[in-house]
Amino acid sequence: MNMRQPSTRGQISIQDVVKVYDPDGAAVMAVDHCSLEIEAGEICMIVGPSGCGKTTLLNAIAGFHEITSGRITMDGEVLCSSEKPKSTPGPDRIVVFQNGALFPWKSNLDNVIFGPVMQGRLGRRQAIEKGRAMLSDAGLSGVEHSYPGEVSSGMRRRVEIVRALMNDPKALLLDEPYRALDSLTKSVMHEALLEIYYKNKVTIFFITHDLEEAIFLGHRVAIMTTRPCKPKKVLNVDIPHPRDYSVLTSKRFRELIEETNDAVHEEALKAFQAGEKEG
Amino acid sequence: MEAAATANGAGDDAAALLRETTPFGEASGALLARIARLARPARYGAGTRLYSPDDPADDIFVVASGRVEHVLDPQIGAREAVKRVTRGGVFGWTGLLLGQEHRMATVTALEPTQVLRINTEELIRLLSSEPQEGEHVMERFVSMIQREFTVPALLARVRRLSGPLTEEMSTASLTMYRMSLWLKSPRPYLMFIGFALFLGFWYLAVEIWRLPRFREMPGLTVVVKEWLSPNPTYGLSLYTEEYYQHILVSIWRVTKAFFLATVLGVTFGLLLGWSRAFKEYVFPVFEMLRPIPILAWVPLAIVMFIATESAVVYLAFLASFFATALNTMLGVESIDESYIRAADCLGANRRQVFRHVILPGALPFIFTGLQISIGVSWFSLVAAEMVSGQYGLGYVINTSYVMVRYPTIVIGMVTLGIVGYITSAMVRIAGDYMMEWRVRELALSER
Repeated sequence: MNMRQPSTRGQISIQDVVKVYDPDGAAVMAVDHCSLEIEAGEICMIVGPSGCGKTTLLNAIAGFHEITSGRITMDGEVLCSSEKPKSTPGPDRIVVFQNGALFPWKSNLDNVIFGPVMQGRLGRRQAIEKGRAMLSDAGLSGVEHSYPGEVSSGMRRRVEIVRALMNDPKALLLDEPYRALDSLTKSVMHEALLEIYYKNKVTIFFITHDLEEAIFLGHRVAIMTTRPCKPKKVLNVDIPHPRDYSVLTSKRFRELIEETNDAVHEEALKAFQAGEKEG
Repeated sequence: MEAAATANGAGDDAAALLRETTPFGEASGALLARIARLARPARYGAGTRLYSPDDPADDIFVVASGRVEHVLDPQIGAREAVKRVTRGGVFGWTGLLLGQEHRMATVTALEPTQVLRINTEELIRLLSSEPQEGEHVMERFVSMIQREFTVPALLARVRRLSGPLTEEMSTASLTMYRMSLWLKSPRPYLMFIGFALFLGFWYLAVEIWRLPRFREMPGLTVVVKEWLSPNPTYGLSLYTEEYYQHILVSIWRVTKAFFLATVLGVTFGLLLGWSRAFKEYVFPVFEMLRPIPILAWVPLAIVMFIATESAVVYLAFLASFFATALNTMLGVESIDESYIRAADCLGANRRQVFRHVILPGALPFIFTGLQISIGVSWFSLVAAEMVSGQYGLGYVINTSYVMVRYPTIVIGMVTLGIVGYITSAMVRIAGDYMMEWRVRELALSER
């Protein structure tokens, strides 16, 4: 019972990707022959301890970093491979950053219309119209004319997701977006994200170190090994969507947590002993 | 409907209660009656929770009798989060804040309590129909939130009355607001005391105590008398045309130097920060030239420019240029990589990234640079004027020294201080206008 959005776009295939950092002669393997299929329109959660190399994977998909070998494709098109190690960032897969990257010098509305206006897909006036509508859909009408620095961090994240969705992306790449939020705000944000997801056909690639968050949101949860990073276990979350907060207290949810907790804990311990810093 | 009969009698009571409150206390009788008509009475038993932080921020509450406990969410940063509210007290004002949809406090009745509830949106609509009086009520709300609820710096978020487009607080009104805040704080008096101590010491040290080293200095009274004299002993005072001529010449030179330094320095600094190759060629040379004191440039400047005027401006320009360029470069380098990546993701090309990310992102640093730059521009201008030049405040100081007109030296110095302060304040104000986002952010994080 995996009620995935009926979508044909946003299928990401990670094939045998290796990433070796070579900062000062001492090669460090961040990603080790990692393969993972993310299906079109699914929420795929990537769980691993801080610094395990999961952000490296996201950076490779987004086009911020080169890969050493392997191949990443989206809907059959090669994003990057051994021949072309760095993919080109673009509005088909938009990153929502860990610390938020709304431009503080633009009002929330101007942030939201940034993508379509820069790409020349919409005129400013049309973009404003669409931006207003999308903000109001997300319950954010009140903050159109405020600057990001004037609203709460939870609201900033929601505005940032709206900014991404304005471009009709195939995939959203979220890099621990709720890490800095308190747990109450976080729970509100989870439901808001699901609500947005149910309305938009988009693949979600979501990095986190919070197992509960992962199981609550994801269709599938990939638990990664710590440096070098590759999937240790991929869990199918058979709790039907749409989900809401009652899931958290359900028996199945607890069972799934128990099933995976050991694997996650083991990797966390390894990371701790290795003393890796954030990466 | 059934409440209509009692509404009239209750209306007077309501108006009387509103008269006792901070926000509505100064409203006209007509406005008060209209507000009273919006009010709906409600009762709560002891121990009842009126609302908690997750509830929607819909109504404003006015206490008619009884007592409630108002506990602000610790995140708001109130100095005193817990407050008891009794008759005449007003709470539930969160709906007046821009973008605030939920309550920020937990409110519990401590004893049987009667209140009036006023819907925030209805109130705002009513106040908007009487903009002048309405604005005053809103101001009273602001001061109540600040004083009675001890919540600092929410004011920048209080909604404006006139329509959604002007909801934001303009930079001008923020400047005015800060000014009034400043006047109400103890700071102006401290500043006044600071000046009084400084001038008092000058007066006593030179003219009364006649301390060694101070004895030969021009005294406060001598300088002030000379400065304000229609017939100055040494030919320079507020009443002589020459005084203003010197000031204008200096200002004009600084303006030219500062303008040139800003245009070239910002361009150069952006290039340094934006292009690694350019930086590698140029930066070492730049860093070697930068520490050379301006005075060391004087002989070369005179050789380079036969006309002294250009030489003086060139010297003032040089110091300015280095400060501006360096800060601009640091500004570009300080921009968080995520912003550039986000712009890439959103499909901006290189030129658009420069225009929409690099330039505005570097602006705070650029303006810090300009503040320094206008200062060093004056500094090096005066140095240059003292060495060569025929007009200007530096020239005044130098010739007065040669011709033993000591009070005039001090007049020149004080004038320099004042003019320099004004120009740097102008740069700061220009920065505030160009970076409204920053002004508003700072207003929120102040104190």
